[in-house]
Amino acid sequence: MELTNRETWTALHGMIFGAAFLLAFAGGLAGLWSLTPAWVTRAGLRERMLRLKVGVTSMALIAWVTVVSGTYIVYPWYREQSPDSPRSILLADPDTAQWHRFGMEWKEHVAWISPMLATVVAFIVVYYGNQLIVDKRLRWTALALFVLAFVGAAVPGLLGAFITKAAPLQ
Amino acid sequence: MATYERREGGTITEEVVWTPEELDISTKPNGPAVAAMWAAGIGSLVLAILVVWAEASEGFAQDLAFQNRVGPLSGKTTIAGLAFVVSWAVLAPVFWRRNVTWSVALAVTAVLVAAGAIGTFPKFFELFAAD
Repeated sequence: MELTNRETWTALHGMIFGAAFLLAFAGGLAGLWSLTPAWVTRAGLRERMLRLKVGVTSMALIAWVTVVSGTYIVYPWYREQSPDSPRSILLADPDTAQWHRFGMEWKEHVAWISPMLATVVAFIVVYYGNQLIVDKRLRWTALALFVLAFVGAAVPGLLGAFITKAAPLQ
Repeated sequence: MATYERREGGTITEEVVWTPEELDISTKPNGPAVAAMWAAGIGSLVLAILVVWAEASEGFAQDLAFQNRVGPLSGKTTIAGLAFVVSWAVLAPVFWRRNVTWSVALAVTAVLVAAGAIGTFPKFFELFAAD
């Protein structure tokens, strides 16, 4: 049981960073959602805010690491001109060509919107801090951007899983 | 801290409201948040424009191949990332001490991000494909 260098990077890009992104999103969403005055005490505020700042900042960093590793490390192997590259394999069969023409073409571009939105949320949480508790509009804006950042990463993640299943990188 | 009663369906819920002073919060203007949101929107829009343009022009797509191994995607992502950082660096000082009307801030962000999402959707950018 052994992973090649390419399989290791593909797993890191799609599964390890992806799982960490999911964890950070779940934590950040719960933190932002529950940041309502009725559920917060002054004593609990400091601990909760620190956790939230770490969570959303981690999510932004992981999002950047995921898109950069995907684009600059894994993607060149995917698009190699050789007949056994995943791109060539998918395009060679009309039944699987759409996985490249639609799936990969969408995934490789739209994924880059997610880290930008996640960075904005991290900035809002770190810069405004406790103000999010009393400023409802700011908190709901951060929440909406946070969910959008997640959707922007979940769609490419799902497409990546299907593409890898149809033509694995080896 | 104040509490007041709020009617939720058939039950009455007691709601707690903190004031900024009680939490030692000095309320900051929303300008810095708006600058960041618009910068992300501009980054998304620039990405979409480059995707459509590269689809329409093979020559432009080749110019975007900053790294041969990655192809045109390297140029699209590098320029979009730079657009995000540079526009944030420009907008942040302009809006740092200002308050922007929330409806305007949200509408502009929504339009920019939606344009980015639509422009990177294959069924859309293929409409501009070079023959």
